[in-house]
Amino acid sequence: MKYICIILLAWLSIKNQAGQDFYACKNAKISLFSSAPLEDIQASSGSGTSVYNPATGDLAFSVGIRSFQFPKSLMQEHFNENYMESDKYPKATFKGKIKEPVDITKNGSYPVNVTGELNVHGVTQTRTITGTVVVNNGTVSMTSEFMVKCADHKIDIPTLVFKKIAESIKMNVSATYTAVKSS
Amino acid sequence: MKKLISLAACAVISTAVWAQTKPAESKTAADSLLNSMDSTPKAEPVIATFKSTRLILGATTETVKKNNLNFLVIHRFGDIGGSEGGGKTLLGLDNSSDIYIGFEYGVSDNLDIDFGRSKFAQQVDLGLKYAIVHQTSDNATPFAVTLLGKAGIKAYHADQGEFPTFADRFAYVAQAIIARKFSSNFSLQLTPTYVRNNSPFPFLAGNERSFFAMGIAGRLKVTKRMGIVVDYAHPFSSFRSNATGDNAFYDPLGIGIEIETGGHVFTIVFSNAKAITETSYLSASQSDWGKGQFRLGFTISRMFSFNKKAKKAY
Repeated sequence: MKYICIILLAWLSIKNQAGQDFYACKNAKISLFSSAPLEDIQASSGSGTSVYNPATGDLAFSVGIRSFQFPKSLMQEHFNENYMESDKYPKATFKGKIKEPVDITKNGSYPVNVTGELNVHGVTQTRTITGTVVVNNGTVSMTSEFMVKCADHKIDIPTLVFKKIAESIKMNVSATYTAVKSS
Repeated sequence: MKKLISLAACAVISTAVWAQTKPAESKTAADSLLNSMDSTPKAEPVIATFKSTRLILGATTETVKKNNLNFLVIHRFGDIGGSEGGGKTLLGLDNSSDIYIGFEYGVSDNLDIDFGRSKFAQQVDLGLKYAIVHQTSDNATPFAVTLLGKAGIKAYHADQGEFPTFADRFAYVAQAIIARKFSSNFSLQLTPTYVRNNSPFPFLAGNERSFFAMGIAGRLKVTKRMGIVVDYAHPFSSFRSNATGDNAFYDPLGIGIEIETGGHVFTIVFSNAKAITETSYLSASQSDWGKGQFRLGFTISRMFSFNKKAKKAY
């Protein structure tokens, strides 16, 4: 493993002088909320992972479905068992590219549009999601709020549950990144 | 882990360099680093082996989670056929063999307290159920094990001297429920059981008070929310095996469908067992499917949650 790494780095230092930094986050907070006639549904996960490459604008997120915690354990069971089928589709992912240039050397708040593929419940949708990148003295963080339609991802809402589940779920994502040095 | 990240970073960077000439591959850059961060998913405990704490006759490996209350109404009508069934009782609907009202409260996610009262012998049961082993998604633990212990007291007014001493009113059951969720659609469980019934029905000379029994039960989901359920038990009791004629015993067997609607689980069944609580249906099942002595029954299970605040995952 080390040798591969060294070879790669050596090759890199010859071919390319950029030596970019990547930014990674292993504890992205991802929460969902929906308001339904009978009861609100909310859950949160604190173990999302994300990678951001400021040089190319590449941005990726991944979260384990089982990591979402609900106030009601039965709701959590149904979320996994009936709706998300987390045994078959254990993760939700997003892989995209930030359209706007973000200068991570300058403090500031950058509103961004990220276009990419959102994979939930094994169904991929191309989405443009708006968010904010905040740079504060070298710390990079991101927040975003967007809607996910259950029907877009083939998440069935049966009529038997008496309209307990809303058709759209509001997602909130926030991640604070640490630099992964390349050299 | 650091090594992995640095290796992944190297891989990502080298790909990123390629990306400058091949834009199509740029997506894989962040991707591979992301994969390196959680490429080894932890084994998760398997959940929802069964939808309810009861299948038809017996208990499942499921326990009531912390601060939740499961309210159970279980009903068994009279014989559909045979001498007590037919048109005169509208296929047994005019009779009720047993009615059970139960409460199960989750002390922790793995332990619940069960309380219930049966019409059959007016038995009041108090028990504890503990999920000792959970099946894991990586099959390191291939099945779940839940222990159940219950003590029951037959509370009815005995005017025929049925209970010479107070101790004769008691009945106990101990079970080790072993279940495996083979797929999201199919779960099966085995239930080795020990029964101690101080005065088992019917009151006959030689009726065994203590015996072992084995239960086998399964669920096959037809849709996400509906499944076919089967529950069978065999008491290893020579007295019961050898009894003939009017006193013959028959192994309890129930077949039904289970429907989940969110907070409720409904089970609609046909079963030859008249009684609902374990000590009674294992001791005293004298109804024969072959003679039409089976009945319609239903179970309503309603889960209430007393967790007000959202769990914090971070």
